[in-house]
Amino acid sequence: MTAWQAWKVVARGLLYLGAVVLVFQAAFPFLWMASTSMKPPVEVFADPPYFVPKAPTWENFVRLFTSTNFLIYFWNSLTVAGLAVLLTMVVGAAGAYSLTRYRYLGREQIATLILCTYMFAPIMIVIPFFILVKKVGIENTHLALVLAFASFCLPFALWLLRAFFETIPIELEEAALVDGADRLRAVVYVVIPLALPGVIATSIFTFILAWNDYIFTRILISSDELKTLPVGVQDLFHSALIDWGLIMAAGVLITIPALAFFVAVQRHLVAGWGSGGLKG
Amino acid sequence: MRRRPIAQQAIGFLTIAPGLFLILALTIYPVGYSVWLSLLEKHSFFPEQRFIGLDNYIYLWSDAEFWTSLWYGVVYSVWTIILQILLGVAAALILHESFLGRNLARGIVLFPYMIPTIVAVILWKWLLNDTYGLLNYALMALGIIRDPISWLGADHIMLSLIIVSVWQFFPFVLLAVLARLQTIPEELYEAAKVDGASAVRRFLHVTLPHIRGILFVVILLRSIWMFTKFDTVWLMGEGAGAGRFIRTLPVYAYMRTLTYYQAGLGAALAVVMFGILMVSTVIYFGLFRREADIG
Amino acid sequence: MRRTGWVFIPIVLILSGLSLPTWAQEKKVVRIWHTETEPQSVKAFQEIINEFEKLRPDITVRQEALAWGDLEAKLTAALAAGAPPDASHGQAVTCASFYAKGLLRPLEDVADAVGRDNIWEAIRGPCRFEGKYFGIPHSAATSLLIYRKDIFKQKGLKPPETWDDLIKVAEAMMERDKDGRVTRYGLSLPGVGLFINIMVGELTKANGGRLFDSKTGRPTFTEKPVIQVLDFYKKLSATVLPPGWLGHGYLDTFTNLATGKAAMLYQGYGRGAGLIEKYAPKEMANADHFGVLVRPIGPSGKVTAAQIDAEPWMVFKNAKYPNEAAEFLKFFFKEEHYIKYLHSVPIHLLPTLKSVRKNPAYQANDMIRRWREWQDMQYRYFEADQAKPTLIIEWADLQLPFGLEILGSAIIPDMVTDAVRGMPSQQAATKAQARAEELITKLGHKRW
Repeated sequence: MTAWQAWKVVARGLLYLGAVVLVFQAAFPFLWMASTSMKPPVEVFADPPYFVPKAPTWENFVRLFTSTNFLIYFWNSLTVAGLAVLLTMVVGAAGAYSLTRYRYLGREQIATLILCTYMFAPIMIVIPFFILVKKVGIENTHLALVLAFASFCLPFALWLLRAFFETIPIELEEAALVDGADRLRAVVYVVIPLALPGVIATSIFTFILAWNDYIFTRILISSDELKTLPVGVQDLFHSALIDWGLIMAAGVLITIPALAFFVAVQRHLVAGWGSGGLKG
Repeated sequence: MRRRPIAQQAIGFLTIAPGLFLILALTIYPVGYSVWLSLLEKHSFFPEQRFIGLDNYIYLWSDAEFWTSLWYGVVYSVWTIILQILLGVAAALILHESFLGRNLARGIVLFPYMIPTIVAVILWKWLLNDTYGLLNYALMALGIIRDPISWLGADHIMLSLIIVSVWQFFPFVLLAVLARLQTIPEELYEAAKVDGASAVRRFLHVTLPHIRGILFVVILLRSIWMFTKFDTVWLMGEGAGAGRFIRTLPVYAYMRTLTYYQAGLGAALAVVMFGILMVSTVIYFGLFRREADIG
Repeated sequence: MRRTGWVFIPIVLILSGLSLPTWAQEKKVVRIWHTETEPQSVKAFQEIINEFEKLRPDITVRQEALAWGDLEAKLTAALAAGAPPDASHGQAVTCASFYAKGLLRPLEDVADAVGRDNIWEAIRGPCRFEGKYFGIPHSAATSLLIYRKDIFKQKGLKPPETWDDLIKVAEAMMERDKDGRVTRYGLSLPGVGLFINIMVGELTKANGGRLFDSKTGRPTFTEKPVIQVLDFYKKLSATVLPPGWLGHGYLDTFTNLATGKAAMLYQGYGRGAGLIEKYAPKEMANADHFGVLVRPIGPSGKVTAAQIDAEPWMVFKNAKYPNEAAEFLKFFFKEEHYIKYLHSVPIHLLPTLKSVRKNPAYQANDMIRRWREWQDMQYRYFEADQAKPTLIIEWADLQLPFGLEILGSAIIPDMVTDAVRGMPSQQAATKAQARAEELITKLGHKRW
């Protein structure tokens, strides 16, 4: 074997090693979480720790369902994030389209303004936001949460969508217009299909942002049955009194559907970033 | 078919209007109120307030806690960003090559970004537990350390926080860079190989120029996010005890508002954070403008 | 990917999202916040609520269980926006602060309903001003010094009377393996802000000192008793505490004790009995292995001290339905309901009402029988008036208007952290003193 071939083998080996390390660091913590979730309390604190439970049990999951509001938190997270994404995408798509296709006074300033709002730490916004929401009378409601999520999702979505729309050549729309379509039809039948990967990618990112929020929910929501997962799970963590088994079970139940959803959409994420993507 | 410019302008405004309105109402108004609040001496839940102008800012200038928080915030941001970028780019390069199981690997590696922060923090707190944590056990079993390390104790909590943050967020960088890599035409690499370029030179001269643009954006976004990150930091340390050593600016602002009950000072801290970000962004754009390609 | 399929998802989300609340209801919705977050307590509380709602169909009660650390922050946010709950738990200093600012509805009618003389003397203190009740504790408990009785007896040790004794005893109960690594620490403490505040208060009192001057309210951190407290912390950190204790949560300390990684807990509570039963090996999960000792005194002290964990129920004057909340509280304290609540965490939730304590139905609880020693120790502190709320040295300290802000400010935990990390005690105390004085001045309460 020549030196070159030997080097290629080594390089290939290193590549596989790298891939294995990457997969391991991402997957292992979850496997450990799953292992802990199936252990009875005494095994959770075994020293030295071991992977496979000696007496695997579903009791942590059963307790999670029967004595906590976990399922309610899950449902709340889904619906509130879903609504926020819907609102964000509709308003954001319209806005992004406007920023790319129309020329009007102040257009660039508006775009810069939107970028700047991104720099406001949620910390800066959350208390005044709460006061505002209280004035309108919607504190401790999901509506307030949806609006709160929109406040940080919208700039992000506008920015991403604008970049995606910019990569779609205006000639395509103009061709449609020449063919007799009006603006709206041009958008729906020409632009949206081309932008779809970008739109989907943006929706997914926006969903992740919304679903992950902690501080707005912490401040705006005080009723247990309206809490979303991040706040609900943290309260469980504090209250369940080192019930690591229960908490890991909660983690598993959050992770599995997220994983399934993610596997289904990850093609779109990569495609979306790549196809429209940001120029550069 | 041309439309009258005025009608065009009107439609343009109309379609941006809802977005603009929402952003103004939900962001600008609260921010404006925050700025106003920073000029007051106000208790967080009692209505008495006193206008004191810039006194809060003057106070912060001489507040040792403020400078410490700023320092922690900078350390945290810089380290997490550097590591996220390095790992993200490296991972993208690896996952760009074809090998058996690549798509599955991609899905798995991207996954930590999808879970709520609370799950990531709880998971890692359990792994890093000084008595029962798997990490200590593994390190001791391998003979790398003799005594268990208190990962969540005062000495190492910043390191642990960085580990958790990087673990959770580098997939974002990975994703962005990977997507871009997929659009680089294969011919460029072929040509370079024909020219006898080594792998390193191929990276420097073909790959890097293409991902510069996306890296510019990603670094900007992640910097903003890590500098203002609250939930991961708060959930790891809750502000006191060992958490004192990860009391970054956002955490300090939260504490001033909701635990010291000094809303004016808390608001001033938030405004200062914003100011720092603005200045940094302007400098950043100035230095790297040519990479920007956006707007 | 069919386009129509995607359309259904948003429609379903909108429809379900439209189950958003706050449409006009005829029922009055009374919101009650409390800090008993254990699932069985929430359940017991809900059963009491259900019974109440049967009696008063015009009222709906919503309970909200908050973690201790979160309560003050949430209350602040709610009060700031003028939307407080109708009733809530709170620390004694919180209650005092709210009273001073005129936010509380007097609870004289509730006190009369439960019987003024029926309220246990030892906990009439938190939140009673000018002879009127503005807060009535939901239950009572004190902190406990929990120890491994079996190891203690095996080593022939004597109960510690001073802090130095305590360190010696803890050191004697430590264990190392053949490589010299510690397998059991002498003591485990939580490195959480609230708990450090609690312990500094207790230790200062047990050392005959004060945290705030009784006449002017000026912080007295730089005086000898508090300096000695910091020295004690330094010694504990250097000898018997796990090195990472500043990162340990309250509940980590219980796991450490239950699984034998620590021999003593200075900040134990009755709640721990349940945790020991859950996590310790079956043969050990009893009071023969885990007992309680009388807390020792400091070098400058004469009498020991413990902390009272008895959050008063408060009702807010400007809430929507304060009177209905008061009605609920009267119902809550009725014996059969109150006993149900207390039994959800038996050794920890001790009755506020003397009649309940004597009630055989209350006494007939397995856990109380098994862990009687723990319960009796708490009563001992109460009867001797040796237990006080967080940061309170004498009952009169409740008059200080800045307790809540000092508690939240992390000034005292930072002082301990600095000392434990190597700063000389005097310097750490001076730094904290300056910060505290500054905070009090900014709040407008400087009187020296």
